[in-house]
Amino acid sequence: MQLTITRQDLYSRGELLLRTIFGGIYIMVPHFFLWFFIGIWSAILGFIAFWAILFTGRYPQSMFEFQIKFITWHQRVFASLHNLIDGYPSFGLSGTNDKVKVVVEYPERLSRGLVIVRFLFGIFYVLIPHGFCLFFRSIATGFVAFLAWWVVLFTGSYPASWHEFNAGTLRWMLRFNLYNGLFTDAYPPFSGKP
Amino acid sequence: MTHEEVSDNCTAIVLPRPAELTEREKEDAMGAYLMMFAAWGAGFPLPMVGLIASIIYYHINKKNSKFSAFHSYQALLTHIPISIVNAAAVIWGIVLFVGQSHPLLRHYAAFGVFAGIWNALYMTFSIIACVKARKGKFYYFWVFGRISFAKYYLPSRQKKKPNDDSNLPPEGF
Repeated sequence: MQLTITRQDLYSRGELLLRTIFGGIYIMVPHFFLWFFIGIWSAILGFIAFWAILFTGRYPQSMFEFQIKFITWHQRVFASLHNLIDGYPSFGLSGTNDKVKVVVEYPERLSRGLVIVRFLFGIFYVLIPHGFCLFFRSIATGFVAFLAWWVVLFTGSYPASWHEFNAGTLRWMLRFNLYNGLFTDAYPPFSGKP
Repeated sequence: MTHEEVSDNCTAIVLPRPAELTEREKEDAMGAYLMMFAAWGAGFPLPMVGLIASIIYYHINKKNSKFSAFHSYQALLTHIPISIVNAAAVIWGIVLFVGQSHPLLRHYAAFGVFAGIWNALYMTFSIIACVKARKGKFYYFWVFGRISFAKYYLPSRQKKKPNDDSNLPPEGF
């Protein structure tokens, strides 16, 4: 899995302020509204995919592609809301963004046993350890994002290491979600590194 | 010979063999029957959720391949009567519960048994169809199978573009 959020050389201060003050209205509301309905369809396909994997050992490819497109849309919006990129995140499953790239390889086979293990014990060996680490990582990310906000406001530049750290948090969360969503059998590492 | 040919009034209907279908086509066809579980997946235990999901799924797949379109259409058609029966059971149940009157309770119980048997049959045959579709095979439900087959594989039902260059005889000849 690859999540690449390209750091810009220069960030727009105007957009930064606009996002901070009105981002909830002009970014979150329209996107979240659409996500609600598409999310229902995504939940239906996720449920069906669970049974399909359990019986066939394969994630139906059309469903997989739909879900990855939906996840990519999420990443575009999250990257924007975290001020990691400028520009308005494009709508739709076929929307693209040059600065946000998500690549998830389609697995030809998935372990049926792992599906059951994740369903029964996922809370213990995935949710609790990763949730614990991500809780503290998210606090650190919030702190870094707050500092970065001021740096961008005064210099127009996002410090590279801070950008990588915050993008890494999104990457970690994405890996965690992909594992829980049965898109991969690879246990997510406790790291946000590419 | 790579196709199964079915002769009907001198018109050959060509059906793909399982090996000729891609995994994606088979999976898409299989998914159509699994839409009966959509209500569980969405978390809304309402009969119409499955029907709406089937309609959406059919519209997504109708242009992908004939095989998946056939199965999606058949799954949609078989979903309609079971959705009506289940919706009737739910509405009747609500009316009885809210009205606090029980003169039709015995009838409702009978209808409940009828709906239960229909659901069990529907699920059984849908799972059979689902497994067949996954293997790249055709499965025909009673009535709905013929309708779906006619829609996607009967040559007479398929629209033909009139050739603008061709000359036609006068009407009546």
